Amino acid sequence: MFSLFFESVRIAVDSILSNKIRSFLTGLSIIIGILTVTLMGTLISGLDRGFEKSMDFLGKDVLSISRWEWFGGQDWWEVRNRPRIRLEYVDKIKNRSKYAEAVAPVMQRGASLSRGDLGARSQIFGTTTEYLKTTNYGVETGRFFTNGEDRSGARVALLGYDVAENLFPNEDPIGKNFKIDGIRFRVLGVMEKQGKFLGLFSFDTQVIIPSGATQRLFSRRGFLRISVKIPDDKIEESKDEIYGIMRQIRGLKPTEKDDFAVNQTVAFENIYNSIKFAIGGVGIFITILSLVVGGIGIMNIMFVSVKERTKEIGVRKAIGATKNMILTQFLMEATMICVIGGLIGLSFAYILSLVINQFFPSTMPIWLAITSISLSIFVGITAGLIPSYKAAGLDPIDALRYE
Amino acid sequence: MSNLISLNQIKRHYDVGGELVKALDGIDVSIKPNEYISIMGPSGSGKSTLMNIIGCLDTPTDGTYQFEGELVHEMDDDQLASIRNRKIGFVFQTFNLLPRSTALRNVEVPLIYSNTPKAERLEIARSSLISVGLGDRLDHKPNELSGGQRQRVAIARALVNTPSIILADEPTGNLDSKSGIEIMKILYDLYTKGNTIILVTHEKEIAKHANRIITIFDGKIKEDRANENMIKAL
Repeated sequence: MFSLFFESVRIAVDSILSNKIRSFLTGLSIIIGILTVTLMGTLISGLDRGFEKSMDFLGKDVLSISRWEWFGGQDWWEVRNRPRIRLEYVDKIKNRSKYAEAVAPVMQRGASLSRGDLGARSQIFGTTTEYLKTTNYGVETGRFFTNGEDRSGARVALLGYDVAENLFPNEDPIGKNFKIDGIRFRVLGVMEKQGKFLGLFSFDTQVIIPSGATQRLFSRRGFLRISVKIPDDKIEESKDEIYGIMRQIRGLKPTEKDDFAVNQTVAFENIYNSIKFAIGGVGIFITILSLVVGGIGIMNIMFVSVKERTKEIGVRKAIGATKNMILTQFLMEATMICVIGGLIGLSFAYILSLVINQFFPSTMPIWLAITSISLSIFVGITAGLIPSYKAAGLDPIDALRYE
Repeated sequence: MSNLISLNQIKRHYDVGGELVKALDGIDVSIKPNEYISIMGPSGSGKSTLMNIIGCLDTPTDGTYQFEGELVHEMDDDQLASIRNRKIGFVFQTFNLLPRSTALRNVEVPLIYSNTPKAERLEIARSSLISVGLGDRLDHKPNELSGGQRQRVAIARALVNTPSIILADEPTGNLDSKSGIEIMKILYDLYTKGNTIILVTHEKEIAKHANRIITIFDGKIKEDRANENMIKAL
């Protein structure tokens, strides 16, 4: 049986090599199909990894109270007229909530940083000591500010990883000074490196300062949200509770709608998933299309091949080939075209994924490579089946007489 | 000696466009081991159909066919393929070699179908080619060989599974006379070594190489006689 298998492979390779251009053109749509499916898969799995990494430090068990929903379809006018989120809410939530493990305000505003000739644009996060508990990342070197420093309005800061690199290239920033919008701050520490969020933006460019200093030095305008860390086994209860507390704070009657938003990273996930499915859907559509077209092309060329080699089939039958042997031979040829096409597509996809990885996270998982090759084998067998049956069923006498 | 082949009242009828064609109409033939038989007859006489049936390429519509005691007329396609592979060596008028394969590969093919292990396969194929005088042409493709050489490759291929009969259908039909004589020599040589040979031809001179001549006409045996004046191609 083995020698027969190798013989089939050999015949298939011979046949493909003796019709190089024809085989290549036939395999082209398989190449395109496999290229599409692997490239899409690679992109999606790269996105997934990036997304998970990014989600990790945002934390699934953190609620973010703000004026508007992250991905809401709310009427802009309605949202615009909502009252601002106020700093006082932080203490109110802390006092009333039995679930909240940490509550931290985050006052976010853009600012320019400078140190001597060096400068950078950055997002300033004004917050309290509880901030650390509401994120999954910590201080890399140095220390976070204390409650005392917060209350006293000390001008101290923690730098995002990239900021530290930009303002203090090749030196230890701790204890050194820099300026935020012209006001001098002292570096307490550097935050852990985060990497890019979905490869698009990064928290490594942020600067964290105490809320006390923020209130004193910078205008109140800017964006305030409140991060609430909740137990991850009581997410729904905690969420309900926070809604209740916020409605109380706002003094809303039962009939009135919420005039605030409680966001969760799940919202990111939903939007992300819909993007992912869109990419995946288009990819699968193109793949199926080109594999079907490719399969038809292969079926067609296999019919031609069977016709051309009718005499050979007759000879093989005369010297003892059974139906199954002829069937195997032609199935092998069809499969081989597909597998070679698949491998070419896969190699192109791999090279492209390396190129794309320079701009966007993308990694080709092994399962994808295996799936795509299995897919080509499947297409080859499916497309080769009818022509191969035709070949196997030929009458040896008729086939021998065929010229 | 028991019969190698016995055909009993073999009929082969075709339905061609509603008209019944009796290609063979009641053939009785017995063949013993180590006979050298010519089947003669003009075209359309049914000799090709008879050859196809003896060669297990075709099955009779009626009658019984025993090959070494096995009932061929009852066999399915795979069993017939197996008989063709192990028991019958075909030599065709048009050689019928695989054009893209070397002489050695061509001769190897029946051994692949009979599941012979690779090392043994190569050895048998090589010695078979050497025995027909093509030891120096192993890696030549058919288009690099003369007609006579091609037919010798075909004979080498027919011999690799040590068949019970060699079935040669107009083996010299496409050859010049010199090559034709060479081929007849090889066949005679095989006969003297104990092989059974069935030669299908329409040429009287070629038919005289056999020791028994069967003449077919209109699907029936017209004459079946021993040939006293066998031409010994030496």
